[in-house]
Amino acid sequence: MITYICKRTVVSTKPAQAGKCNPLSVFDRLMEKNHIRIVYYFPSTRNGEPGVVTKKLRESLSHVLTCFPIVTGRLQKKDDGHWMIKCNDAGVRMVEARTQGSVEEWLKNVNRDKELMLVTWEDMFHKPYFWATFYVQLTEFEEGGLAIGFSCSHLLADPTSATMFVKAWADTTLAGTMLAPPFFHPLPPPRLGNKNPNHNPYTDLINHYKSTIDDRSPAFTNNITNYVTATLAFSGPMVQACMLDTSRPSPFEAMAGLLWVCVSKVKGMKQGLISMSICLDMRKQLGLDKGFFGNCLVYNKVHHAESLLDKSELSEAARAVGESVTKMNNERIMDLIEWLEHHDYEFPPLMNGHDLICANLEDLDPYATLFEEGFVPIRVSYYVEPVFGIGQILVLQSPPSEGPLSRMVMVTLPADELSKLCDDDLILRFNPTILMG
Amino acid sequence: MPQTLPDFSNSVKLKYVKLGYQYLVNHILYLLLVPIMVAILIEVLRLGPDEILNLWKSLHFDLVQILCSSFLIIFIATVYFMSKPRHVYLVDYACYKPPVTCRVPFATFMEHSRLILKNNPKSVEFQMRILERSGLGEETCLPPAIHYIPPTPTMEAARGEAELVIFSAMDSLLQKTGLKPKDIDILIVNCSLFSPTPSLSAMVINKYKLRSNIKSFNLSGMGCSAGLISIDLARDLLQVHPNSNAVVVSTEIITPNYYQGNERAMLLPNCLFRMGGAAILLSNRRRNRSRAKYRLVHVVRTHKGADDKAYRCVFEEEDKEGKVGISLSKDLMAIAGEALKSNITTIGPLVLPASEQLLFLMTLIGRKIFNPKWKPYIPDFKQAFEHFCIHAGGRAVIDELQKNLQLSAEHVEASRMTLHRFGNTSSSSLWYEMSYIEEKGRMKKGDRVWQIAFGSGFKCNSAVWKCNKTIKTTTDNPWSDCIDRYPVHIPEIVKL
Repeated sequence: MITYICKRTVVSTKPAQAGKCNPLSVFDRLMEKNHIRIVYYFPSTRNGEPGVVTKKLRESLSHVLTCFPIVTGRLQKKDDGHWMIKCNDAGVRMVEARTQGSVEEWLKNVNRDKELMLVTWEDMFHKPYFWATFYVQLTEFEEGGLAIGFSCSHLLADPTSATMFVKAWADTTLAGTMLAPPFFHPLPPPRLGNKNPNHNPYTDLINHYKSTIDDRSPAFTNNITNYVTATLAFSGPMVQACMLDTSRPSPFEAMAGLLWVCVSKVKGMKQGLISMSICLDMRKQLGLDKGFFGNCLVYNKVHHAESLLDKSELSEAARAVGESVTKMNNERIMDLIEWLEHHDYEFPPLMNGHDLICANLEDLDPYATLFEEGFVPIRVSYYVEPVFGIGQILVLQSPPSEGPLSRMVMVTLPADELSKLCDDDLILRFNPTILMG
Repeated sequence: MPQTLPDFSNSVKLKYVKLGYQYLVNHILYLLLVPIMVAILIEVLRLGPDEILNLWKSLHFDLVQILCSSFLIIFIATVYFMSKPRHVYLVDYACYKPPVTCRVPFATFMEHSRLILKNNPKSVEFQMRILERSGLGEETCLPPAIHYIPPTPTMEAARGEAELVIFSAMDSLLQKTGLKPKDIDILIVNCSLFSPTPSLSAMVINKYKLRSNIKSFNLSGMGCSAGLISIDLARDLLQVHPNSNAVVVSTEIITPNYYQGNERAMLLPNCLFRMGGAAILLSNRRRNRSRAKYRLVHVVRTHKGADDKAYRCVFEEEDKEGKVGISLSKDLMAIAGEALKSNITTIGPLVLPASEQLLFLMTLIGRKIFNPKWKPYIPDFKQAFEHFCIHAGGRAVIDELQKNLQLSAEHVEASRMTLHRFGNTSSSSLWYEMSYIEEKGRMKKGDRVWQIAFGSGFKCNSAVWKCNKTIKTTTDNPWSDCIDRYPVHIPEIVKL
């Protein structure tokens, strides 16, 4: 059981420039209803005294916050009703906790509820100006090990940015400097001038967003479904086998296809596949620096053709995913941005509230986050909360010891469906190790 | 400026008249002595050497008479030198610099206040208004226990803060002065609101393994002016004990006194008091004379406690819910003004040049005899001192004193900037202000410094120091990383 020691606010070491405000981009504003939670597990360090590691991390967090004024700022509404961050130096909340046992023991019998206890989070206050948007929890294991729980509002950061922040924190703790400084910049502006009058904006992507925004179905007002998360680890050779089976060049497409088929079966679809959307990081497509801090995830519905034979259903699924991925290029994303700029909505949508969401978080590189020389995280878990609708699949990197092609997939489904999924033949063909669930 | 003469203060002619008057009165002795000496010299030259020798021979001097007179002269000289009070030197001092991780920006303070006082939005609004007008900056620090939500002011945390502040200041002092702990003869620690058993002075003795025959004192409950009271005590002790070193530690421990109730008059200290401390080395040893920074000239203490209103104006008591806090009354500024006037009346004759004293005396006689409606003459203390260190109790205190003593913005700059950077650190704020003046390179040999502190009771204490040697700027002081940014302009209201 976890004992909470204290809660406090950590501020930066240098005062922020007074009066600075950062408006949120169109992608940021869509994510108001979501928040991200990440848990990093670290093995035991040499310095065994309780509280020493926590103190060191708290001090280095203060130092790194000096470079992230957005993280220590607070939300405020601009005159036009849109959110902005006022960089008022208020700080992040930090909770310190302790628990019995060691990290390794914990990981052996952890589940979704237990893991979420390692990350503190508070929903938005009635007055958001006094609500901290970033939370850190440091849980020291009495017999060795450390869990760092990091959560933040999706309005300000996507999983890529969150991972980047924690990496910057680790670099500061380790060496005193950041290797990749953050890049605070608005999204690329709409192109002026060469507007081709025959230019047909990619309506599929925009339609998907339009339907999500307009969707006021009770799916996301009714939260009595008991969701459970399982972490499945697919080894390198197995992922390769899957790629060969589906003849797709990318591990994500293969994994996404595989899980799409399996989840559809588990949901009781005799023919065809349930509706799924993929979620990809668009930094490269938009020409943004990897250190771009903010939201850059774009959701796109996957369209598939009906297929009769089981075996080719897998390849067909993977192919459909691949097609969706290719369709998300610079031009279409820019059209989407333009459409979003001109299309105001009264209620923020729930981007992951209806379809099965499959997010590609392969390139986040969380295992490069080293707070101490040589101490690589044992595991890193990601959660994008709250989960509504059909469910959520996050395709993540595996620890580096497993090899570059291996993947860790975190699947969140209603409890009974998840247990059926773990027994499904198609999944078991690729021999995943069930790490959690 | 209230004057006995009609207001010509913009006239250049009046300025020269004033200067002439001051020069005349201040150097009257020399001006009288010089003509007399010239007259004697002329007379002597006129007489010639033979006449003088004859004059000498006519005085019949007995051997006994000569011996007696010389013994008398030697005896008087010895008594004079022995009864002269020993000079007390300030060898050096060190101020505590809080770690950057204890910083409390305004936004964080207000958020915590909101979370803790969630049922009292009016009290939160009040605190916000105080903070906006307080003159504090974004770099002031509170001890770690106050950063928790909710704060955990346990005794252990208070001891922790005391150890952190006092030991850091002492370590810094020992390093700067090269003093060995076994050479400390007198130890005085003053901390008003935290008084554990064993005392904080015992804590210092334990940590640094001081001698068993040390004379240690712990002053508590004496408010923000306790620093100067400790200096006064050290001075008196150094008169009795020759060849001694005295260490004075001035601090205020914030942890146990963070008020957690809703009473407005008691929330004010929360907004202003911040972590800080100073350790000072005083000595009467001859060999410290050349390396000492300052010489203590006067200490003047004024206590208005006999007046009931003054006694109750800063009062620690329980509020309606039983929570203990320090309540500040509304007439604090008026009482402070009264106390200051009392103090000035005593210190004026000690430090003011003859010209100012004469003017004051004449105005006083004039008011008594001729016309009581004449405005009282406020002596110009800028002629008596080069630097002023006004306790950074709050913006209102500094404004009030600037007005009353007619000081320029540069004179109160040290106080305002200390309030901005460190907040109200109670008894140690005077030392941060001295440090500011030194680091700005303004402290020259022969400069006179006036430290004024107010405290509960109601007390007004002053100390006058004379600078012993021009002080070079250093890097091991609390201002070293930010002195270049100062002075900053502090707006009337900071919008939160």
